[in-house]
Amino acid sequence: MLRRWDARQITQYQNSNDRENIMAENLNSGDARSTTTGTTGLVHDDQHVAEQSTGTAGSTDDSLNSYQKRHRRVPPWIWIVAAIAAVAIIVGGVFAYRHRNSTGSVAATSHSISIGLKLAPTNLDIRNETGAALDQVLIGNVYEGLVARDADNAVVPALAKSWTVSKDAKTYTFTLNAGERFSNGDALDSKDVAWSLNSLISNDYVNAQALANVESVSADGATTVVVKLKAPDATLLWNLTGRAGLVLDEDAQYDAKTQAVGSGPYLVQSFKQNESLTLKANPHYWGSHKAKTQTVVLRYLTDDNAAINALKSNNVQVLAPITENLSSSVSKDGNFVVKAGDDTDKFVLAFNGAGSKTSDKRVREAIRYAIDNKALISSRGGADAMLGGPIPALDPGYENLTKLYPFDQAKAKKLLSEAGYNASKPLKLDLEYANIYGTEIGDQLRSQLKTVGIELNVKVVEFSAWLQDVYTNKNYDLSLVDHNESHDFYTWANPDYYFNYDNKQVQDLYAKAVSSTTNSEYESYLRKAARLVSEDAPADWLFNYRVTTAYRKGVTGFPLNLNQFQLPLWNVQYRA
Amino acid sequence: MIAMNSRRYAFRATGIVLRSMWHRAEGRFSLLVLGVWILVSLVSVFWTPWSLWWTDGYHVWQKPSMRHLLGTDGTGADVLSWLMAGSRTNLLICVLTVAVTAIFGLLLLAAMLARATIFAQISVVVIDALISLPTVLIALILAVPFGPSVAVIIAACGFGYGLNLARIARPQALLIARSGYVESALSNGARASGVFLRHIVPNIMPVLTVQLSISAGTVVLAESGLTYLGIGVQSGVPSWGHSLATSVSFINIYPLTVLWPGLIITCIVLSLNLCGDTLRDCADPLSNVQLRNAQFNSGQERSGQVRSGQVSSGQARNDQLNRVTTKGSGQ
Repeated sequence: MLRRWDARQITQYQNSNDRENIMAENLNSGDARSTTTGTTGLVHDDQHVAEQSTGTAGSTDDSLNSYQKRHRRVPPWIWIVAAIAAVAIIVGGVFAYRHRNSTGSVAATSHSISIGLKLAPTNLDIRNETGAALDQVLIGNVYEGLVARDADNAVVPALAKSWTVSKDAKTYTFTLNAGERFSNGDALDSKDVAWSLNSLISNDYVNAQALANVESVSADGATTVVVKLKAPDATLLWNLTGRAGLVLDEDAQYDAKTQAVGSGPYLVQSFKQNESLTLKANPHYWGSHKAKTQTVVLRYLTDDNAAINALKSNNVQVLAPITENLSSSVSKDGNFVVKAGDDTDKFVLAFNGAGSKTSDKRVREAIRYAIDNKALISSRGGADAMLGGPIPALDPGYENLTKLYPFDQAKAKKLLSEAGYNASKPLKLDLEYANIYGTEIGDQLRSQLKTVGIELNVKVVEFSAWLQDVYTNKNYDLSLVDHNESHDFYTWANPDYYFNYDNKQVQDLYAKAVSSTTNSEYESYLRKAARLVSEDAPADWLFNYRVTTAYRKGVTGFPLNLNQFQLPLWNVQYRA
Repeated sequence: MIAMNSRRYAFRATGIVLRSMWHRAEGRFSLLVLGVWILVSLVSVFWTPWSLWWTDGYHVWQKPSMRHLLGTDGTGADVLSWLMAGSRTNLLICVLTVAVTAIFGLLLLAAMLARATIFAQISVVVIDALISLPTVLIALILAVPFGPSVAVIIAACGFGYGLNLARIARPQALLIARSGYVESALSNGARASGVFLRHIVPNIMPVLTVQLSISAGTVVLAESGLTYLGIGVQSGVPSWGHSLATSVSFINIYPLTVLWPGLIITCIVLSLNLCGDTLRDCADPLSNVQLRNAQFNSGQERSGQVRSGQVSSGQARNDQLNRVTTKGSGQ
């Protein structure tokens, strides 16, 4: 009863500015002091009352008590409770919403994902068709090798779960996993492995030279394969991670140009030349890398701007690679992630070792001192890494050699004048490179070399013209090309290569490295050889290109490192 | 005395033509733009804000600032300096292409007007056949053995536009070649080459002017197109096409860098075309009274000399005038 009255009074009290009402209150309270503030604001009055009620706590006066009771309903804690309740409801609501949202997106994990790539393979025949574009999409996805590469370019088990190497390093014994199958359901055993490797060697398929040291490959029981070598070969295991180590089904009948039967987590659903390659999860897959996304569509987008538009319009969820300078339009957009991964691409500015001017070591050194590699990297967007020698960080034998020839224009000028060049007789050189690398890099080199007194005549030509002039005829002063292969130090140990670089010491060191029996020995020989090469200045390694990938938020498991060589896709997922 | 007189007349006539062009809005615009073009080309020979050799990898694709008025490009070079230096390359290409077009076109025209009918007919057929070759294709073919260069652009465009010029000027030239005064000149023993230069060329001047100005405008466009295709100017040679080609793939991110060369090319092509139009109107004694008076006066001065060329040339203009008036009354 009292409660109800109180409530009514409170509402009245709160709602009214009426003098009479407040007077009545004051009279009710029996407090003379209150009357002095009679017509002033509610809050004011209330404050007085509050003071008063605390002051008279425990009073036996009825009216006072009732007043006290009535006003205990008003104090701020109600509002605090209300506020807490409101916050709790809002927070709870948000949590509930987010929870619902996240459960919703679990349900929305896409069954398919589209990936934009640049270089398209001509066909799918991995034994006869060259080109990194084929390795990129098929190895690790459709075909598997005895061993594979991890994200740091190291050798890891694949079809073979383990292997042992004999003391003389001439016999490798691989043990296969149990229960391996091809995508057509056939069992994969050691006979398939032996057949694959032997037929590669005997038919001289693509990459057969990687197994040049192999004497025999034989099956020993269902799960053991023995590889015997003519001489120790430290490069064998890594070579087996590429095409050389792939295991194919001897009994399968299919058109290798448009189909593929392998043991990987995916199988080829359809292939449209220069357009797309569709991969589907392999239902017979045996291993732990089971495909997380049912369908993967690889689209080939050669035009950079068209590729970026495809990414923005969600025609593809991933774009690899994206031109670094163009990526800023994507990275500004909050829906995308742009990241650079490590790579083994070496932009090599080669100086013709047999050229009339570049055979002079002082000239070559002067060019190396004159080039500001940092500026080149910065102008490209800054993701690329400095590289001072022929071996990049992801390859064995790497050593930071960037301090051998730092950017030093004074030294460059001094070396040039020692070599007999000056302002009245400037050094004139031709630089020839393929137009796929853009004109900027040539313009910058010309400008940098001009500063020390070298006149560079830049010829930007078709790739075929470069192949003819430089690669085949070795008729050039300076050449620029992206040597993207991993483990390609052998080019410096080959005097017939277009570099025209002939250093007996380097050749010996490389031979020793290849025939070494332990990894550390292999790497130390390579390191020594690489240093020798860099000191000779047969080229300037402008930078180590790092591949930039852009993908929509929600894409996970896409490999960033080395994804232009091998692109394992089993872990890729997309949550819209 | 004669030489001085004719030189004085040439100066006066040039002055009159320029003045009447200046009095037209589109003429003034085109004269201003072309004047600035020539001025900038001259200045760029001696001075550009930054050296063309200067690049800065740490400051690429900069926005316009006090340091770089139009910003920097993908190599960190100053865009304004390259555009200024590009204007002289484009001016050179323009002038030389017009010259090649004029010479080649007039030679073809002469061949088509040859008195040996078979020769004339064959050249008509050959020109009709050659005209179907696109200029880009000619440039591509030339670039294979010679490599990309300014000369390839000039040769390809001069060839293509020369064919066009000859083809378009032929009907009018034919009319004049068959006129009475040409026949009388020939029967008086004038040489064919003299008749061609003294009677036919001056009378097809309006067509030539327009065609050559269109060629000048088109070659600016062709330069940028061919350079974009990689068969135009060599890398390192400044030109508007070079500036455009190096920045066009970044149009989505750095649109300003593409805007400048694009704007310049548009302006120049527009003013070249307008210039051709106004020049035709102002340099034509039929429509420019001042010029006609000046010519009449100088003709008076020279009336003492017997020069069949002058006389018949005046006759030709009268013929033309009659034609225009009859045409006008017919409408």
